Amino acid sequence: MRAGGCFEMSTPPKMTKITIDGKELEVPPGTTVIQAGLMAGIEIPHFCWHPDLAVDGNCRMCLVEIEKMAKLQIACNTVVSDGMVVRTTSEKAVQAHRTTLEFLLVNHPIDCPVCDQAGECYLQDQYMEHGLHDSKIQPEEKVRKRKVVDLGPIMLDAERCVLCSRCLRFEAEVTHTNSFEFVNRGDHTQISTFENRPITHNYAGNLADVCPVGALLSHDFRFKMRVWFLEATESVCTGCSTGCNIFIDHRDGEAQRLRPRRNVEVNKSWMCDIGRREYKEIALDTRVTGARIKGASGWEDASNVSALDVLADRLEAAGAASAFLATPQASNEDLFAFRTLAERVGGMLDFRVGDPQDKVRVLEDGVLLRADRNPNTQGCLDQGLGRTGVKEILAACAAGKVKVLVLEGPELLRQPEAMDAVAKVPFVAVMATHEEPILERAHLVVPAAMWAETDGTFTNYQRRVQRFRRAFAGPGSATPRWELTARVLKRLGAPLAAGSTREVFALLAKAVADYAGLDHRSVGAGGRALTPRPGDVATQEARA
Amino acid sequence: MAARVVTVNRDTKPGIYPVLVGMAITLKNMLKTMFGGGAATVQFPEQKRKTSGRYRGIHILTQREDGTPKCVACYMCATACPAECIYIEAGERPEATIEKYPTRFEIDLLRCVYCGFCVDACPEEAIFMSRENDLVGTTRAELIIDRDRLMERAKLVEYGPGYRPTDHDVRRPVRIAALERLKHEHGIVLGPPTR
Repeated sequence: MRAGGCFEMSTPPKMTKITIDGKELEVPPGTTVIQAGLMAGIEIPHFCWHPDLAVDGNCRMCLVEIEKMAKLQIACNTVVSDGMVVRTTSEKAVQAHRTTLEFLLVNHPIDCPVCDQAGECYLQDQYMEHGLHDSKIQPEEKVRKRKVVDLGPIMLDAERCVLCSRCLRFEAEVTHTNSFEFVNRGDHTQISTFENRPITHNYAGNLADVCPVGALLSHDFRFKMRVWFLEATESVCTGCSTGCNIFIDHRDGEAQRLRPRRNVEVNKSWMCDIGRREYKEIALDTRVTGARIKGASGWEDASNVSALDVLADRLEAAGAASAFLATPQASNEDLFAFRTLAERVGGMLDFRVGDPQDKVRVLEDGVLLRADRNPNTQGCLDQGLGRTGVKEILAACAAGKVKVLVLEGPELLRQPEAMDAVAKVPFVAVMATHEEPILERAHLVVPAAMWAETDGTFTNYQRRVQRFRRAFAGPGSATPRWELTARVLKRLGAPLAAGSTREVFALLAKAVADYAGLDHRSVGAGGRALTPRPGDVATQEARA
Repeated sequence: MAARVVTVNRDTKPGIYPVLVGMAITLKNMLKTMFGGGAATVQFPEQKRKTSGRYRGIHILTQREDGTPKCVACYMCATACPAECIYIEAGERPEATIEKYPTRFEIDLLRCVYCGFCVDACPEEAIFMSRENDLVGTTRAELIIDRDRLMERAKLVEYGPGYRPTDHDVRRPVRIAALERLKHEHGIVLGPPTR
């Protein structure tokens, strides 16, 4: 410390100036060269480095030339310093990339035609970009390792492995399960689980994602589709209240797989296997594809509009003798439309079937999965949908005071203890996505679109509003819930002043104080955290 | 640019001369066809036209020694196909030497434009084209041909092989084995492609 001067602890850290491939940029101190490169839009080739895993520096692919350093340095473990000049495409660096690749490919089987990773394989991409050397090794000379090893949700092919240890680090740092280890030495090194035991934890799908090559592949996606046929749509997982950011990979209107979309604030690069399986619900042949009304002689098919008009007329007649149960499966837009309908009719309103609000922030396994398996319980709470109380509504039903019961989702019908009360209601309308025996208890069923088939926002456990987008159309006449609700409102003579989810959200932002100033554009791809309220996320998170 | 105007007088009678000229040409061609050899037409279907050694007819899927398709369902042909007429479903090959093979492989011959890109794209030399070109069916469905139909050898013997991977890769052991097998089992000798 100099005389007269002192450390100013409060000032923000001085930015470090560096030059990468002629681009000058300022990055926070402590950034590694590979991260700085990504900030400047320069991707330095790598295998073992992963933005959400510890630096290992074993693959030697990210070698770059740095001025005033005698040897090439690995970009992933070299911290920037002021005035550093980095070259990633100089002759020396490119030669290093080629040499590294040649070593990696010495024992690689090059079975791209049968490998599911083809198309999203780092090795394949880097070879096309940097390698392009003729192999000096004949196929017969290569070291053979184990192929087609079934590890439950994951298929292992040790021959394809580049020994980057990403899977080892994922197991060590994220799930703390340490399933994988390197066995043998030298050329014969390969990854293996102990006694080939299957992977049993709930995050196995991420192993296939972190693997830069085709050594670990998803069993579910095996041989299903070549990845270049897939179209990716940004979405949010509906498996629980965590709201992991995901991509829906789909082709010809059919979801083929879900994979995590990186969001440092929510799920980093991970998602759980329960969430990954959510897409299977979409294409089931038990989807409700058309509206129907229970008449004197049983179910009669109807168009959505005519069915909803019947509901509207019933609601008009019932007035306050009606009850509305929203669902935490629905988007904020759906909920807002539903709330508007309930307020217009003047009926009872709630959503807390099975008390999801108590579980919103309860972390089940210490990683991502939360006990509340609804994506939007927080949105319901924010919009104040928990009003009358489910018990009170059921009591009113049992007392015959409810003439029309409108269910935004079939949750209540799944509660055996609610059945006696529901049976007393003369008219039960339900928006359903899937056929279930319990729908027999309703008098009117309208087909609702699922999350992949509509636009909207969910609010996750952190009170973070996140946008999901429509990937493809729903089956039959399945329609987003807010549109169904808007039709009823129109018939009631109070049409919703919105024709799209964006406009519904604008109405919502006006009506709900916490959402003021937000719109779909400002929510964006990464979501927007709402201003925390006292005793909100952090405190409750710690308690959980 | 001024147009040149030609005035034709339609009132004058042409006379018999032009008719005789026309008849002479017809007669000449008739005699040429009857005695000179070389009619432009053939008596299809009894008689087949000669086609080139790289004619692009209906596709053929090659086989391994155990009779299973050589195809490993890599979807390269389906990716390259400009008409999107190839439908593949991949499955686990029972014996796990090569894990993957097509459980379904269908080509919609009515959509196909016979461009031969699938042949060029194939990394396994599993698909090439025969010289079969008489495509007849009573429904659209029967012209979507499946894996078994694509693997029929008899058709190949009848019509002969058409467009196939060019001979620059003859050195490749896979290709040499395939050529030998074809010769040994079906008596087909694939020389260099001929016109």
